[in-house]
Order: sequence, then C-alpha cells, then structure tokens
Amino acid sequence: MSEHTHQPDSGRSRDLPMARSMCWHCQSEMTGEYFCGRCVKVQPLSKELDYFTCLNLPRKLNLDEQALEETFYALSRSFHPDYYATKDEGEKAISLGNTALLNTAYRTLKDPVQRAEYLIRLEAGSAKDIRTSPPADLFDEILELQEDLEEFRSLSAGESDARRQELLEKLQAERQALEARKAQMESRLREQFGRWDALPADGDVTVQAQKDAVLTGMQEILSNRTYVKNIVNDLVAATSPTGDDGRNIWH
Amino acid sequence: MAYSEKVIDHYNNPRNMGSFKKDEEGVGTGIVGAPECGDVMKLQIKVEEDTIVDAKFKTFGCGSAIASSSLATEWLKGKTVDEAGQIKNTEIVQELNLPPVKIHCSVLAEDAIKAALNDYKKKADTEGETEEAATPA
Repeated sequence: MSEHTHQPDSGRSRDLPMARSMCWHCQSEMTGEYFCGRCVKVQPLSKELDYFTCLNLPRKLNLDEQALEETFYALSRSFHPDYYATKDEGEKAISLGNTALLNTAYRTLKDPVQRAEYLIRLEAGSAKDIRTSPPADLFDEILELQEDLEEFRSLSAGESDARRQELLEKLQAERQALEARKAQMESRLREQFGRWDALPADGDVTVQAQKDAVLTGMQEILSNRTYVKNIVNDLVAATSPTGDDGRNIWH
Repeated sequence: MAYSEKVIDHYNNPRNMGSFKKDEEGVGTGIVGAPECGDVMKLQIKVEEDTIVDAKFKTFGCGSAIASSSLATEWLKGKTVDEAGQIKNTEIVQELNLPPVKIHCSVLAEDAIKAALNDYKKKADTEGETEEAATPA
C-alpha cells in the first residue's frame, strides 16, 4: 500500500495544533496537518488538542452527527495501527497515541451528556470553577427514598409480605416519577444546547456573561441529573426481580 | 482499582451509621452531595456543652465515601466544636490511603462536617436568642 492512500483529505488546510512545529522525521516545517507534507510521515497529535478541533467541528452542542462520523472514520483509517505494522517503532507509537486520542474524542462528543460536560470543562477551564448551589430539596427526597429502599432490602420475601408489597409499589411509582424527571432534565439540557449555539464564539463582556449563564445552567442540570440517575439505578436494581440488590461500591 | 484494608473495613463495619432527629436539641445536620458522582452524604453531630458527644452518618455512594464519613464520625466524637472545624480532608486521605480519583470523597466528608457544624451553630444562636427573649432580665 502506498503511503498516500490513507491520508485524510489533504486538500483542506486546517490549522491544527500539533505536538511539534517541525516534522519529527525530516525536520521540515509543519503546516498543521496530520502528515508531513514532504516526507509523508504521520505526526503526533498534541495532547492539548481539543476534541472539537480534533474532529474538525465547531464548538457547538447540537453538532452535525454525520460530519462527526465521517471525520472520525476518515481519521481512524489514517491513524489505524494496522497500517503501521511494518513501520518503525516511532511511527507505531504515534499511530497508537493518535488512535487513542481520536477514540476518546469521538466517544466524548457522540454522547450529548458527555459532550456538554466536556464543553463546560473546556470553557470554564475546569468544571470545579462553576459552583452551583446544592439542591437541598432533592437531597431530602433522596435520603427519604434511600431509607425506604433500605427497609425494602431488609425485608426478605416470605415474611412481612404486606409491608414489602406496599413498599414495592411505592418505590416503583417513585422510580417512574424520577425517570420522567430525568427525561425532563435532559430536554432542558437540550434547550441550553440551542442557547449556547446561538451565542457567537467570541464577544464582549455581555456575550461572556451570557455564555457563563448558559454554562452554569447546564452544570446545574447535569449535577441534579447525576443525583437522580443514581437513585433511579438503585431503585431499578432493588425492585427488579433478579434478586441482585444492585449496590455497587466500585463506581 | 483496589481499596485499602481500612476502606473495606469501614465499608463492611460502618461506625455510627444512623441518624438523629433533625430538630433535637444540640443536633447539627449536614447534607452534602458530589455532583461529579452523585453521592449523597448526611452527617449529624450531637453537642453538649460545646463538646460533640455523638455523631452519626448515612451515606449513599461508593465505598470511599462511606468510609470517609464513617471515619469522620469516629474522629468527631469527643472533640469540641472548634476542634471539629479543624478536621481536614487530607487527614482522611492519609488515614484511608485513598487513591487520587477518590480524593473528592474525603472533600465531601469535610464539607459534611462543616455543614453540620454550621447548622449546629445557627440553631444554637437562634435558641440562645429565644431563651434570652423568654427570660426577662
């Protein structure tokens, strides 16, 4: 196979942050492509490369899924370790490193929740910079439900069947209500996606303030969603007929 | 990932699991959560004459969060309110040998202690005020 066949669309020149400004092999200057223009050797992706840039997508939340797939598959082919099996160790290592980064980037951007979490981290520097107020009412609700769950788990089938049945019905109803709430949170998250995408990429203080408001709003929904998701998982595990109480200490 | 012996021990034999009535005299309640993992922790202290005479917790989360709060209740007993405020998450990390990815569990325990102490102080202040108001000088 010729070395040119697995190159991505090199007609488009992209401004990509590479690990080095010179080709590691022939020392010629790099123009921000994945392959050296002179010796055609694969170049290592910079660890600082953000996932949107890596997959050639704008930093938007309602992203073009088809474009994501296409770029991912094209780049996967160009970096695939199979093509480098006969190359030297340096190229093999670059192929592996690039493939790993590309896979993580793709997985993160494909999932809407992970995509939002990633964008928040990217924009806020670190998610910890965005502080949302703890949802006290939700905590109370969760603690109360967990108490019921504990009682339910402690009652073995056969004895206190009436109480067990009563709790089971209550917990199943709560589970449905919470699943509906989780779905509602996800649609509210989608609304924030639209708000984010409508804002310009760069702007003055007003734009920055609007951006911060959307990021904080998303962070709040995401945090509350995580609490709800956990309790729903516990409810599903405990009230499903498999018998496994579903508690997992390894998460 | 392997947990340390101490974490496993606290997970299997949690100390002071349970709760007090929130409105009981001298009780301070702290409820906190970790938005990254969704763990929820409730930690309560019972104070008599500025000393924590009892502490209880309920944690719904991973083994490290349970162990961190279990250990915290052990440490809280017998401490004064001020001493309790000095407990640092790094001490919990050290005692339990928590790996870097589980440090946030110890932070959660420290936050829970602070929240419980604040709740106690707030309650003590308002109780003091009503007592003063009730007993004319």
